[in-house]
Amino acid sequence: MCGITGYIGYRNASEVLVDCLKRLEYRGYDSVGIGIIGENLSIFKDVGEIKRVEGKLPRMDGHVGIGHTRWATHGGVSRKNAHPHLSCDKKIAIVHNGIIENFNELKEELEKRNHKFYSETDSEVIAHLIEEEYKGKLEDAVASAIKKIRGSYAIVVISQDEPDKIVAAKKESPLIIGVGDNENFIASDIPAFLKYTNRAIHLNDGEICILKDNNVKVLDEKGKEAIKEERAVDWSIEDAEKSGYQHFMLKEIHEQPSAIYNALMGRISEIEPRINLEDLESNMDEITIVACGTSFYAGMAGKYIIEKLAGTPVFIELASEYRYFGRKSGTVIAITQSGETADVIGAVKEAKKYGCHTIAITNVAGSSITRIADIPIYTRCGPEIGVAATKTFTAQIAVLFLIALKLGMKNLCISNGDLQKYVSSLRRLPSYLEEVLGRENEIMDVAGKLKDCESVFFIGRGINYPLALEGALKLKEISYIHAEGFAAGELKHGPFALLDENTPVVAIVTKDDVHTKILSNIGEIKARNAPVVAIADEGDEEIDKYADFVIRFPSLPEFVSSIPIAVILQLLAYHVANFRGCPIDKPRNLAKSVTVE
Amino acid sequence: MKAVILAAGEGTRLKPFTESMPKVMLPVANKPVLLHVINALSENNIRDIVIIVGYKRESIMDYFGNGKEFGVSITYVIQEKQIGTGHALMQAKNEIEEEFIVLPGDNMIDGKSISLLVKNKCETAMLVEKSELPSKYGVVEVKGGIVKNIIEKPEKAETNLIFTGMCKFPPHIFDIIGRNIKEGNNKITDSLQLMVEEGENICAVKGKGKWMDIVYPWSWLDVNSKSLKNVAAVTSGKIEKNVILRGAISIGENSVIHSGCYIVGPVVIGRGCEIGPNACIFSSTSIGDNVVIYPFTEIRHSIIMDGTTIGSHSFVSKSIVGRGTTISPHFSNIVGNNITEIEDKFYVVKDMGAFIGDGCEIGDNVVIEAGKIVGTNCRVAPLSIINKNLPSGSKVV
Repeated sequence: MCGITGYIGYRNASEVLVDCLKRLEYRGYDSVGIGIIGENLSIFKDVGEIKRVEGKLPRMDGHVGIGHTRWATHGGVSRKNAHPHLSCDKKIAIVHNGIIENFNELKEELEKRNHKFYSETDSEVIAHLIEEEYKGKLEDAVASAIKKIRGSYAIVVISQDEPDKIVAAKKESPLIIGVGDNENFIASDIPAFLKYTNRAIHLNDGEICILKDNNVKVLDEKGKEAIKEERAVDWSIEDAEKSGYQHFMLKEIHEQPSAIYNALMGRISEIEPRINLEDLESNMDEITIVACGTSFYAGMAGKYIIEKLAGTPVFIELASEYRYFGRKSGTVIAITQSGETADVIGAVKEAKKYGCHTIAITNVAGSSITRIADIPIYTRCGPEIGVAATKTFTAQIAVLFLIALKLGMKNLCISNGDLQKYVSSLRRLPSYLEEVLGRENEIMDVAGKLKDCESVFFIGRGINYPLALEGALKLKEISYIHAEGFAAGELKHGPFALLDENTPVVAIVTKDDVHTKILSNIGEIKARNAPVVAIADEGDEEIDKYADFVIRFPSLPEFVSSIPIAVILQLLAYHVANFRGCPIDKPRNLAKSVTVE
Repeated sequence: MKAVILAAGEGTRLKPFTESMPKVMLPVANKPVLLHVINALSENNIRDIVIIVGYKRESIMDYFGNGKEFGVSITYVIQEKQIGTGHALMQAKNEIEEEFIVLPGDNMIDGKSISLLVKNKCETAMLVEKSELPSKYGVVEVKGGIVKNIIEKPEKAETNLIFTGMCKFPPHIFDIIGRNIKEGNNKITDSLQLMVEEGENICAVKGKGKWMDIVYPWSWLDVNSKSLKNVAAVTSGKIEKNVILRGAISIGENSVIHSGCYIVGPVVIGRGCEIGPNACIFSSTSIGDNVVIYPFTEIRHSIIMDGTTIGSHSFVSKSIVGRGTTISPHFSNIVGNNITEIEDKFYVVKDMGAFIGDGCEIGDNVVIEAGKIVGTNCRVAPLSIINKNLPSGSKVV
């Protein structure tokens, strides 16, 4: 998965493209390249982050160009594998995001016809295919070329022979047009061009677009001109800047009081308790939640909440598995921050084939999933730039909570009084989160104790189990410390063998029905001399006897505490990684939205 | 012209409200004091702003970001230890190349006074104002528009003209401040005093009388009430049938005012609130975001901060309720004269209610005596009578 962009207009294209690529870096950052049409087509590419490569960039004049920031899939990280890729006559340049599944066959055929390949990438075949089909009109060549491709792609193409246009095509990888005045943009994501324009056009799969400096034309699969609607983007560019924080991740952790407020705003009423959520389907008697990564853990937390409050059975499935192996029936709730996660989109498409009712929880309005699922529900967090998801995780839990409450009322599983209790504590979450954020220094002290460990375990019971998994994921992805989450009762069945005085265990302890159980689990761990960090209710006095360090969260009703606990786990991971000097916003080998399988 | 805003201080006399946020973030008419200051600057087209942050700086950065939303461009500079205004200003040295103004982020100021200061012909000029509490500030002696003497916090003030902390400076002021800091004098007034002694001309510019400082919790209520006079009536959200709205009332988006409420402005109500049915809110009251006010409750001349809940049949008057505090039904505070203690000093407060910090949980049927201060995160059991100040984290059973 990569970030791609294109510009045509009156400005210096290479400056604009570098600017756009900086904002796409979260999608990939192992190598960078741009291609500009000036007097001729010229290409510059190199390995490394854009900031580093920018310094070496030669002066490139021209007002038309394409750019690419790479996250390697096919072919190693090297200058020759960086995009743009050229045709044999070096007149056509392309950038590509996605995976060409049949590239081996295509490459063999092309080689038979004397095409020379310079890279190991799948993407390069596109340049040669277009060259083969080129008969004087770039858009026609692209249209014929993509008919031969199997797989997912967003491609942006320029040709030296037609210096007044950019042609782009999309299937299952994101691509958005930014409409300006006498200039136009195209990119994998909106923040790329938000500095220049907030007018966006989302492309659908199979569409081809032709950008000129003063007009935008979109053709559908049959080659007919499609009527597209411009959408004004209400994110401001400032939303995508660090405003004083050292890292996006820390900024985004601190944004959670307002993110949760926005996720709940207008959706809950307390005095006359009600959940005002989008109409869900009337008979949801079985739910399957489908997601990947952090969203999967949010879904797992959702399973505990929905089953307890609404009595509806919930199955939780990894999108990459469910897509090919899962049982498709009932209602499917898909969770994806970006709305572009390839596996989640694939899973929803599969489910729809079997007649499932589909709901998507996502953060990005107009994203692919919102056009596929029956009902989109937004988390309303604003853009999340840090690769490690933070505010969208807690907002996803909040939205699942609302679904649980709404279902619970409909199924007559919870009383009006209980609903009021939950609504009133959800409503107060922003204040509670402020309180937790106010204790950052205490969390930082504990992080100091973990920073040199080789391995850290996280345990919890009930809803705290998915939180333990998420806590471990956060820690390993940004600090590179090996971390594992376990259901507390499972430690004895194997992982116990790994415990010693150098393996700290972070235990999530809520004052619920299993409080005594988790305390005895901690006792067992202490008996193996492993240090214990407890994340515990502020009213829990017993825990001091068991744990070496205690981080407190405000006393809240069951499940509601999951959100402040998540914030603590995020801060813990952040500060451990920061102590270790890790590149927190861009962990190695990872990218923000996984638009490839 | 650039402006440097000093926003690193804590505001200890405003505890417990400054335990979770710096003084500059205290809401006045539902906007942080610092936003009022920034708005006054941008009225004068001063949009390049350096904010010196320190104590609880995250709350400032989270709110203002890079300033774009507020039409300005903000750079943050950190003062790790708050040891003086001169030392704070010194941190911004690398951001300043030409003439600039410096001003405190925790005092209310109007655009006109800033304009007078900016337009003054002297190289160095300061804004002076009359104060009822001159002994809390630097008292200034002025002759013919020129500063003759500054006496910092005198026991007995000769005049009531005080230095507001707002100055216009040439860039070489940093040399003077730098010298002073080396000698251990960390305040801006130390440097100004030195300049006066060395015979430099510092002009005194008299402000338009709109300058206001929040010194104690009770003066905050006063500042809030004065600022509310400028509230424009804007009503978004949902207002049900049979709600009476009189005077200037601003209601934020997604708020619901249930039937039978009676609201008399000037009143501001934030976003996402639920009020009523049959609640009464009277003038000089500001209610933050995400506040719930249950039926049959009366609120007058008070500041109710974000995320607060006030139960039914309650009476809140001349009081401040901190963020995220929950008050159960049948609460009331007494309004009257009393003696109260802040930071080991005793003060007489007149005609005041209660001051309740952030994150408290107050049980049913609680009464708080006039002028009493409840710290943050206190738990008060039902049927309690609070007649002394409660330190933060107290539990009353």
